Amino acid sequence: MDILVLLAGVADSRYPLHEVSLDGNGDLAETGQTRRVLGPFDEGALELALKLRDKSETTRVHVLVLGGPNEDALARTVAAFKPDSLRVLELQPCRPWDSALTASQLGAFIRSDNSVPDLVFVGREFGDLDEGSIPVLLAGELEMPMFPLTQFAQWRGGQEQEQEQEQVRLMRERGTSREWLALDNTSYLATVTNDKRNKLRHPLMKNVMMAKKQPVDKVCQATDKAAGVTATSMTDPETTERNVQCRMLEGSVQDQAAAIADYIRQAAG
Amino acid sequence: MDQTNQMSRIVGVVPGAWGNEAVETTLAALQSVCGDMADCDLLVPGDAGIEQVRELAGHAGIKRVHCITGDGAADRAEPDVAARLVSEALSQTGGSEPATLILTPPGPDGEELAARVAFHMNGNALGRCENVRVEDHGVVATRSAWGGRKQLVLNVSGGLSVASMRAGKPVLDSSRSEAEQFAIDVNVELPPEPSLDQEPTGESLPPVESARFVVSGGRGLNEEGFAQLEQIARKAKGTLGGSLPAVDAGLVPVVRQVGISGKFVTPELYFAVGISGTPQHMAGVSPDTRIVAINKDPEAPIFSMAEAGVVGEWQQLLPEILKALDD
Repeated sequence: MDILVLLAGVADSRYPLHEVSLDGNGDLAETGQTRRVLGPFDEGALELALKLRDKSETTRVHVLVLGGPNEDALARTVAAFKPDSLRVLELQPCRPWDSALTASQLGAFIRSDNSVPDLVFVGREFGDLDEGSIPVLLAGELEMPMFPLTQFAQWRGGQEQEQEQEQVRLMRERGTSREWLALDNTSYLATVTNDKRNKLRHPLMKNVMMAKKQPVDKVCQATDKAAGVTATSMTDPETTERNVQCRMLEGSVQDQAAAIADYIRQAAG
Repeated sequence: MDQTNQMSRIVGVVPGAWGNEAVETTLAALQSVCGDMADCDLLVPGDAGIEQVRELAGHAGIKRVHCITGDGAADRAEPDVAARLVSEALSQTGGSEPATLILTPPGPDGEELAARVAFHMNGNALGRCENVRVEDHGVVATRSAWGGRKQLVLNVSGGLSVASMRAGKPVLDSSRSEAEQFAIDVNVELPPEPSLDQEPTGESLPPVESARFVVSGGRGLNEEGFAQLEQIARKAKGTLGGSLPAVDAGLVPVVRQVGISGKFVTPELYFAVGISGTPQHMAGVSPDTRIVAINKDPEAPIFSMAEAGVVGEWQQLLPEILKALDD
């Protein structure tokens, strides 16, 4: 099985955001100290692919990392997990707010690549400028059915069985049900959401050291397709006005708890 | 049911099978965009719950509700199926002036629906927007980026735009009459229904989207803390939510994740325990929801949004709140 993992990375939320703006062409300009790291959805997508490879000698994991600020460092983070192939994909132009444009670029690259993957894992949001549209549109571009919000993946029969298994099962939870999809011979795109079961493992230190020296292959997908959605300005966020003055509850812990219980009773009707 | 070829330039789309909460949040989105709701239409793929949709839509000021039916569509409420039905229905009824803007419910399903409608109709997917307005030259939308640390203004100068909006609760007036219902019967090939094995998760609390009271915890709590939050939720007939870091830590299931990447909740009261109030988290809480907060950090941003708060340790307060609720 060939699994393709698409990783966009996100700005590290532990640090202030680097300088971002729009240039005269409406393209993104990023300067200063950029710290792009794997986001929780990226990590989940990569971990699920690695989990499946752990249990199958014939499974290969191919990774495409979205080009952009500190792309080499991001790619080397991924290289430490020893994917079977790893490339940085530069999109020209790169306008992630235009989901249709971005999905068409990704789709065109994947279709033109050597072989169509059996399974595509991608985070439910593709980076800091996507709100979940790009993976959905990419599934359409690739004409693949989509399994949204995947939380876990395993070979049919479970991890306790040692022999090679034939089917991958994807799991998600909805409402009060856990749903399992057994993949047939159809290629699927699965979006991945954060879950305790897909927390990314720690790489071996020797692999981290090797990855630091590893050259990173770079590929490009250009398009002259007209923009459907243009970004006209970028500003700091407006704070949500709730028009409230917080009443700080004083007194003993019991007094404070009683006051909160009153609020809860009132809401419960 | 009558049929009509009339369709407004601004259309809400919500499958009736998704429930009243989805219908109401779609109506709220339409109200925030349209000056006059008589300028909007509501498209309902499938006829599940259509009577209730008509009533709510009428109370919100909508004049026309279009129920889309087709072979094999009655029991299907997946976003892809809904999108195909909507696409076909609008191609039948577009008339001389096709729709400019389609709004879908907030939340993961609604956001997937928006992207799928855009794909099937070759439109522009605007994603999860904070504001959308239709102007003479096109559609202008505001959307957050970098986890709420920046805002982008997007412009579409032609064609169809599809967006999902988090606008809270609609203004409903029960003296208004029900919306008029029209039928659109479509003939479209639907994708095969996925064959899913299902098993219960053991969850017995109500969904986080539809509760009147939500108690929600952050990463600062542990399993014991979340067990206490669950007891509070049960005593108050509410439900339990959590932040993304709490979900990552396995303290609460992802179906209960509240925030920009999780569920959008619209309860009467949101009780935030150990939640600092980041923009990423608060994007999942309706602006008209009242908030009560506990946090040990007096500088936590949640206190600037809460109606009442306590600076303190959850380990001391939660057992006392449980006792107080028993009194």
